[in-house]
Amino acid sequence: MSESLIINLSVAILFLPLLGFTVVVLLGKRFPKLYLFEVGIISIAFILSLIVMFAKLSYYPNNIVAQFTWITMGSAPSAGSFNIDLGISIDNITVMMLFVVNLISLLVHLFSIEYMHGDKRYTRYFSYLGIFTFSMLGIVLTNNLLMMYIFWELVGLSSYLLIGFWFEKKSAADASKKAFIVNRIGDIGMFIGILILFANYQTFTFDAIYAQIEAGNMPFGDSAWLTAAGILIFLGAVGKSAQFPLHVWLPDAMEGPTPVSALIHAATMVAAGVYLVTRIFVMLTADAMLTIAVVGAFTSFVAATIALTQNDIKKVLAYSTVSQLGYMVMSLGVGAYAFAFFHLVTHAFFKACMFLGSGSVIHAMHHEQDIRNMGGLKKKMPITYYTFLISTLAISGVPLTSGFLSKDGILAGTLAFGKLTGHWLIPLMAFTVAGMTAFYMFRLVLLTFHGEPRDHHKYDHAHESPKLMVAPLVILAALSVFIWYTPNPIAADSGWVLSSWIKTPTQVVPNETRFDFMKPDAAFETNSGQHAESHGTITHSTLYTETMHWAHYKAMFASLAVAGLGILLAFAFYFWKKLNADKLAEKIKPLYNFSLNKWYLDEVYDATAVNGTLNSGKGFSWFDQKIVDGAVNGSAYVTRVVSKISGWFDTYVVDGFVNFTALLSGFVGLLFRKLQTGKVQTYVAFVVFAVIVLLLLFKPF
Amino acid sequence: MANLYQSLELIKPEIALSIALIVLVTCDLIFHKDKKFIPYIALGGLLITGIFLLANSSVSGFAFIQTDLMGKIGLVAVDSFGTFFKLLVIITSILIVFFSFSSEEIQKITDRIGEYYALLLGMILGMFFLISATDLILIYLSLELMSLSSYVLAGFTKLRDRNSEAALKYLIYGSVSSGLMLFGISLLYGLTGSTNLYVINMMLQSPNANMFTLAFANILILAGIGYKISAAPFHFWTPDVYEGAPITITAYLSVASKAAGFALLIRFIKTTFVSFVDSTGNWQLIQVFDWKSVLIALSILTMTLGNFSAIWQNNIKRMLAFSSIAHAGYLMLGLVVFSNGGLLAILVYFVIYLLMNLGAFLVAMLIANKTGFEDINDYNGLGHTSPFLGIAMVIFLVSLVGLPPTAGFIGKLYLFIALVDAKMLAVAVIALLNSVVSLYYYVRVIKHMYLTAPEKETQAVKPNLHDTILVTVLVIPTLLFGIYFQPLVNWAKNSLEILGLM
Repeated sequence: MSESLIINLSVAILFLPLLGFTVVVLLGKRFPKLYLFEVGIISIAFILSLIVMFAKLSYYPNNIVAQFTWITMGSAPSAGSFNIDLGISIDNITVMMLFVVNLISLLVHLFSIEYMHGDKRYTRYFSYLGIFTFSMLGIVLTNNLLMMYIFWELVGLSSYLLIGFWFEKKSAADASKKAFIVNRIGDIGMFIGILILFANYQTFTFDAIYAQIEAGNMPFGDSAWLTAAGILIFLGAVGKSAQFPLHVWLPDAMEGPTPVSALIHAATMVAAGVYLVTRIFVMLTADAMLTIAVVGAFTSFVAATIALTQNDIKKVLAYSTVSQLGYMVMSLGVGAYAFAFFHLVTHAFFKACMFLGSGSVIHAMHHEQDIRNMGGLKKKMPITYYTFLISTLAISGVPLTSGFLSKDGILAGTLAFGKLTGHWLIPLMAFTVAGMTAFYMFRLVLLTFHGEPRDHHKYDHAHESPKLMVAPLVILAALSVFIWYTPNPIAADSGWVLSSWIKTPTQVVPNETRFDFMKPDAAFETNSGQHAESHGTITHSTLYTETMHWAHYKAMFASLAVAGLGILLAFAFYFWKKLNADKLAEKIKPLYNFSLNKWYLDEVYDATAVNGTLNSGKGFSWFDQKIVDGAVNGSAYVTRVVSKISGWFDTYVVDGFVNFTALLSGFVGLLFRKLQTGKVQTYVAFVVFAVIVLLLLFKPF
Repeated sequence: MANLYQSLELIKPEIALSIALIVLVTCDLIFHKDKKFIPYIALGGLLITGIFLLANSSVSGFAFIQTDLMGKIGLVAVDSFGTFFKLLVIITSILIVFFSFSSEEIQKITDRIGEYYALLLGMILGMFFLISATDLILIYLSLELMSLSSYVLAGFTKLRDRNSEAALKYLIYGSVSSGLMLFGISLLYGLTGSTNLYVINMMLQSPNANMFTLAFANILILAGIGYKISAAPFHFWTPDVYEGAPITITAYLSVASKAAGFALLIRFIKTTFVSFVDSTGNWQLIQVFDWKSVLIALSILTMTLGNFSAIWQNNIKRMLAFSSIAHAGYLMLGLVVFSNGGLLAILVYFVIYLLMNLGAFLVAMLIANKTGFEDINDYNGLGHTSPFLGIAMVIFLVSLVGLPPTAGFIGKLYLFIALVDAKMLAVAVIALLNSVVSLYYYVRVIKHMYLTAPEKETQAVKPNLHDTILVTVLVIPTLLFGIYFQPLVNWAKNSLEILGLM
């Protein structure tokens, strides 16, 4: 398989979903069966991405880049000569993302065939899935910031369409608006960040920008601007990947159809932010990375505390998603690049499995979402239960699962970071979150599937979902087992994913702005002598590698301990009933309410941003009514007085003048009308007249 | 005779056109009964001419060289600039032949269809020579050849009084304009002693002529050319003729005839008044006449008048007539910067203008065919009853405004880049404001099609396959060039060569 074939296939993968969208959205009304076309298109895209992944990983260790010049601006006066290139870049993480996105998109398509059955906008739903997949694939494939931004906004748009798919419901319409607006706030930062880079480097292409940074060419001549650009672009990820303080849109977005939640909140849209940070990882300075790590750690902590007390099955999953995304972002911030991306992949599978599983439950329970009304569903829906259990084990970090591998790596990374830099708070938060995650996920499982049914009416009608819905669950649960990633269930490093597929790229920022451990050893550099080209060989210092080894087993045992503790507590509360959750909640009521009400963040935003906007609107309106109108009324009075005086003046002086002007305008108007009413004589006369006027105006003396 | 042979080699497209004309007239005389195949002769002739043009595209040189005091100077300059405009004319002509297949008006005069196409071919021949001519006499002759054919075509159908009125007005107005131009030419000849543009250029380099007379001659010639490109204040014929002529001819006049006029204007000024082109592509004018100010004034006047008058029009053809006047104003902006960048902008804009303007006329024609309406108020609700034509019309109109993602935006973008490059910000701002004004009357049509409820049931217009393909052929590039326009720009970049002596 040649490089050009890979490129062509990738372009085909990108545009197939767009084709699906166009055809289905245009003809869907006439041919209701057309959703099958969309499903078929995604299947083809999935198969192609499988082929591309296999070919790329087996035969091409280097990046494959294809680009063309879109606009040649010539020499614009302010910016000099520049071109705008469009193109795609295919490296290992690209093909893995292609696979993940297409697989989950396909499974969501299949799941939706049953789940959305009977919806009045059935085909339109599938066309939206198509444009969403297209946008996400664009983000994955692009090799420049401009396309990244375009597809970024497209993802924003298509998520708006999907979240608000049931727009008759006010809550859904509000949620889609909220998602769109909150995302926009982050995007402004990203836009400014991109502009900083573009203004300095006259290019949008990642590689070209990094080459210039590597050559020591700082934006506006100062590395502080590089930090600023990194953090600003990261703001885009804060919006899309639902990081604190912009995470508030994601839980509300659960108003969308549940398969949509699985698609956009597990594998694609929210992963886009993390993916963006992996793309700009090489240009992040130490300060930017620390910011990112702190934001990620804090996000995961906040979301985990909120998830402890939520009662809506999808809300728990939503906050758990926010928390896990915080993990990934934190992991990037502490330099554990490979584990961050690895966790992105494993999380995509088990979280999609959970969302689809919750969809299956909700479907069976006739759109009941409150876990307090569930219970005992294990007997009724065994397949849903077991798949859900496997993914819960994975997210809790129980050995033999994929989640154990990736989570463990992240925890080890934070521990190493703490030891090397002294920021111990980050690993502390990370381990606390690990424990909380195990607790609230098992709380969810126990309340939903175990114990006695609490709503007998709904329970009696519950039944296992149709085959088309459980098949995706089984596939995703299977992918949450360690064996796909490594032969050794306790050491992710020895597996093929981490040892050969994902490689941490070398940073290009100047040495003095990097963390010490992100500098390759001097000895190594002289030995290889080509570190500029050696993206993805050795990035970290030997000290870092040693510290990671030191942290590996410590982190593993510590994480096992906290996860075990969390699970134990969950069983104690909800299975053996040794402890009473309600009594505990009563005892620590302020804390409980703080968590239940999501840290009151929505209220804070309402009070500040939303009300601020509304109040300033009111303020302007008041100003308009009282001050402006008052001034107008006052001046009206003055005017009346003046007008009396001028009335007299008018009648006698102005009218005479006006009448004269009217006569003149009438004459001119007559002339103008004559111009175009069809008298050719006049036309001719006017041409001659024009020639004379021109001659008088432009005569050379 | 070697010279003659080389010359004929260079003007192969024109020869092909002439032969097609002769064949067509002969066939028209021989076959009285069935004239259905006549259009295909015209079409074949046009295609062959097009092929010769493409084959000639890399050739350049002078045809009909005469030895003068100054050296060897040709009557006809074959260069990439000329070929570009000739290709535009040929593309437009081919499209117009297809338009004529769809046009109800043209279908009603099948017995005289031979004359229609003969006149069309004659007009094209005139345009071809007009585009290439470097001698004032040849310029005048080809201008007349082109004009005389168009006078007849404007009133050709004789279905309504308006047709004859349009033709007569066109004739009278055109005669006066060409008279003025001839006067200017004679003055220029008197001042320099030659009718050849290159010789005139050399004479002007060391001027000892009367400057006032020279200015007078220039303005008179400008009046003649301005009439062809319908630049204000020489535009008065345009709305009346566009409204009265058959819609195919209106569309044709608005694109092809204007293209030929612009080619003439550019070549005339470039060859006669530019002393040299510097390394950055700026044209240095000979300091004998302030062409820059004149053209700036005219272009601003043209676009302002065109746009403001269009606001008040209710007839779609009349509205498009004023819109085409406004676009002539924009196009002139590309010339006033006097640089290769400006010329590039004109070429790019013209291709795009061709697509969107012909498209708008085509949709208007299809609607008029079916409903008989040319009034914008009668378009109410058409967007809903005829979705395909509605959407196509929206695309063409949006492109005419110059909004992304349509090609019209790219055309304007290159024009404004050229203006900003030349530091003519004030002019750019005026052009921008004019675009804002144009938004009003273009969107008004869209509003009528989609938002205004019709008073009576609107007749659905279902285009047949031929029309659908024709509309699609124009819609697709209008959208495509809005996104991927590099090939277009590259083509234009390779067509900047205007033969000079140096």
